[in-house]
Amino acid sequence: MDWNGSQRHGSAMGGYPSYPSPQESLRLRRRPTNVADQSSPQFNWNPDRKEDERRQDLKELPLPMALKKSIWQVQQMKIPAVSRWQSWKMQKSKTLKRFRESSGGALAYVALWRRVLQKIGGHFGGGVQSYFLFLRFLVVLNFLSFLLIASFVLVPSIVFQSHNSGNNNTVNISAGKEECTTYDPNPQGLVHFYTYFIDLLTGTGFMEYSYLFYGYYNNTEVITNDFSYNIPLAYLLTAGFYFIFCLICIVIRMGSAVRIAVKTGGKAVGGYSTLVFTGWDYGLQGDRAVRLKQNSIRYQLQVDLEEERIKLKAASLTLAQIVGLYSLRAFLNLIVLALIGGSFYGIFLATEFSQGYQGTDFVSLVVEYLPSIVITAANFLVPFLCDQIALLERHSPSTTVILALLRAVFLRMISLGVLLFTLWSQITCRTAERGTCQPCGYNHTLYPCWETRVGQEMYKLAMFDFITVIAVMILVEFPRRMVVDHCSCKLVKFVGRQEFVVPQNVLGLVYGQTVVWVGALFCPLLPVINTVKFVIIFYCKRITLFYNCRPADRTFRSTSSNFFFLLVLLFGWMLACLTLIYSVAVIHPSMSCGPFLSLTTMWRVVPNSFYSLSDTTREFLLFIGSQAFSVPLFMLSCVVLAYVAALASVYGQSVSLLRAQLKLEGRDKKFLVKQIEELSSVTKRREQNF
Amino acid sequence: MGNKQTIFTDEQLDAYQDCTFFTRKEILRLHGRYHELAPHLVPMDYTHDPDVKLPSALIVNMPELKENPFRSRIVESFSEDGEGNLSFNDFVDMFSVLSEMAPRELKAIYAFKIYDFNTDNFICKEDLEKTLNKLTREELTPEEVNLVCEKAIEEADLDGDSKLSFADFENMISRAPDFLSTFHIRI
Repeated sequence: MDWNGSQRHGSAMGGYPSYPSPQESLRLRRRPTNVADQSSPQFNWNPDRKEDERRQDLKELPLPMALKKSIWQVQQMKIPAVSRWQSWKMQKSKTLKRFRESSGGALAYVALWRRVLQKIGGHFGGGVQSYFLFLRFLVVLNFLSFLLIASFVLVPSIVFQSHNSGNNNTVNISAGKEECTTYDPNPQGLVHFYTYFIDLLTGTGFMEYSYLFYGYYNNTEVITNDFSYNIPLAYLLTAGFYFIFCLICIVIRMGSAVRIAVKTGGKAVGGYSTLVFTGWDYGLQGDRAVRLKQNSIRYQLQVDLEEERIKLKAASLTLAQIVGLYSLRAFLNLIVLALIGGSFYGIFLATEFSQGYQGTDFVSLVVEYLPSIVITAANFLVPFLCDQIALLERHSPSTTVILALLRAVFLRMISLGVLLFTLWSQITCRTAERGTCQPCGYNHTLYPCWETRVGQEMYKLAMFDFITVIAVMILVEFPRRMVVDHCSCKLVKFVGRQEFVVPQNVLGLVYGQTVVWVGALFCPLLPVINTVKFVIIFYCKRITLFYNCRPADRTFRSTSSNFFFLLVLLFGWMLACLTLIYSVAVIHPSMSCGPFLSLTTMWRVVPNSFYSLSDTTREFLLFIGSQAFSVPLFMLSCVVLAYVAALASVYGQSVSLLRAQLKLEGRDKKFLVKQIEELSSVTKRREQNF
Repeated sequence: MGNKQTIFTDEQLDAYQDCTFFTRKEILRLHGRYHELAPHLVPMDYTHDPDVKLPSALIVNMPELKENPFRSRIVESFSEDGEGNLSFNDFVDMFSVLSEMAPRELKAIYAFKIYDFNTDNFICKEDLEKTLNKLTREELTPEEVNLVCEKAIEEADLDGDSKLSFADFENMISRAPDFLSTFHIRI
């Protein structure tokens, strides 16, 4: 039987390699190796194939090592007749390949936290590891965004402000009314020592008039003979590019998750066989990890069997029972909606109260943090209550998990949305008397510099989120583990150690990242603060994972859940994008601070600087924006989309056709074997009769 | 650094590099691990290809394999005599297939061998029951074991002979996204 190694270079659709027949493979493993035998598989000695392909084939042969080595020796002895130039080239390509292999190993050391992630995956499984991989992705994303913002906005601002006395700068003074242009962020008189601490936590006082917030940046526009730089335009465009950059990163990451899902045919079909044959992680070490993995596989199998039983039972309910079950579920959903609505109203009230409060003592610190406190409390209590209610709903286990997740996502994202809506309606006088917005276009009595206030609010949200994570770890998880380890009463043993619940932790990360996106326009240093915050959270979560937690009984399907996490992140991105567009295009910027103080909306800086471009650039941009270009572009992208969709459906059909063909081949084999048996028995009987 | 070692000739190291997924350094490190399993049996000088095989009892006590429920089957599948006695060639072969660079098809071939307990080149129901008992430490009830085995065979068997041939197994593996990352031992 010929072993045609060239079948290795298969796409997923290539034919299966011709696997040596059962008897031959057994013989391969048992017979002494150096004998060249005609009946064992022959290697393809085709000398025309490139050396790299042959070397790759040799690595992938399922033959015993000694046999592979003798094949290699024969290969080496076959010296093709080549010129000196070609032999020098082959030698150089060989050294290059060796160098690439060793440098690939060195580069692996550079990847951030690689060893830690492998250790986590080995001990706690793929689900927990996917949380830490997601966290690492967010750290890298925030750091790259900080580099973008720093190089285009922060560094030029610092440079230009240090050369402030130069005569090439033009600083526009806003020609607004007196009451709109007063803004004095520096505190007057004596301050208590603890004010500095409060200022650090709330972004007021000495932190307010600094590079941290929008209000410090000027609308300098430097025009020299060979260099011009427009800070307001740079500020706006950097914010836009930051959002587009984040969108591209998320979509690329989603693409790789989706590709795996498409390759495996969409749904995780073959649940039992896949779990039995690919469920065991061969890299697990340590008695405790192995025992836990065995428990989790057993639990997963029992849950799957239980789901089948529930499905059978659900199919056999009478009509009255079905009606009763559905009305119970509708009633419980109404309660859940009421709970969520109540928490939204609480956030609205807290935000209104906190924005109107003026004070400098410790009580004011609590009042400033009131919206964050209410959001965090709601995100703690309401999912807990929903879990208790879900026990009454009697869904199957997987549906319960998905439902709980959807409710938690809805609560988190929409509560942030309610906070933002309340803030914006206060700025644009939706809730106050009409008169306060007339002079300046925004509420100048409460907010002399409203962008800085919004930035401070987002800064407070991020800080409080960080403090909550650390506080929960120190005050809840460590004591719980100590109590469980040292106390031996039954209740404590029943509750047990903390379980690392992946979905809730991931939602916390998505919430933190959405806050950063919303606040980035008003607080340009927020990405770097977030990078540091996420790095600290990584190490804290790792410590709490290894000291306090036991792995979840329910194994989390890491491939489909990765896609879900990125989808929720994208939803947060869209929420932030909405606020960005609203702030940039609709609301009047403050007239007393910031780079946009002389314009009616932030967007106006783009058309204004448009007319300073050269003629050809202007005509090119106008052409791109016109209908003569955009309509054909739209039609072309529709055509490309239709083509790609048709291609995808053709591939799907080919896959199912090939699968059916496999089944038929098996049946053909059995039929032919039966025919052979019948024919041989008929001939034997005929011979006996003669 | 590579020229100072005296364990292997350069040609032998080249052969190992081309036949496995390891680099020079990793092969030398593997030899160190093989040697420390039985320092009095394994020579430090492999330039003359000594014929030394370590018994299976020594290999399955390595920390990477010690708690793996399939450790004896893994070692048996890579040994030439089928009893689990590994020479250094087989030792390197085993970790090469289990490394992260080995392709899916190669891993599927050896995974099939591992789960085929009676080595008849089919995974029948008894093989599946033994696999399941090793996976769950025999904590499932017999009806549950029976039910799971029946469902698994029903899902994966394509030609309808109520046992899994290699084609069925490979088809099922190709739809499991986690296989490459779970069938992996880091050494």
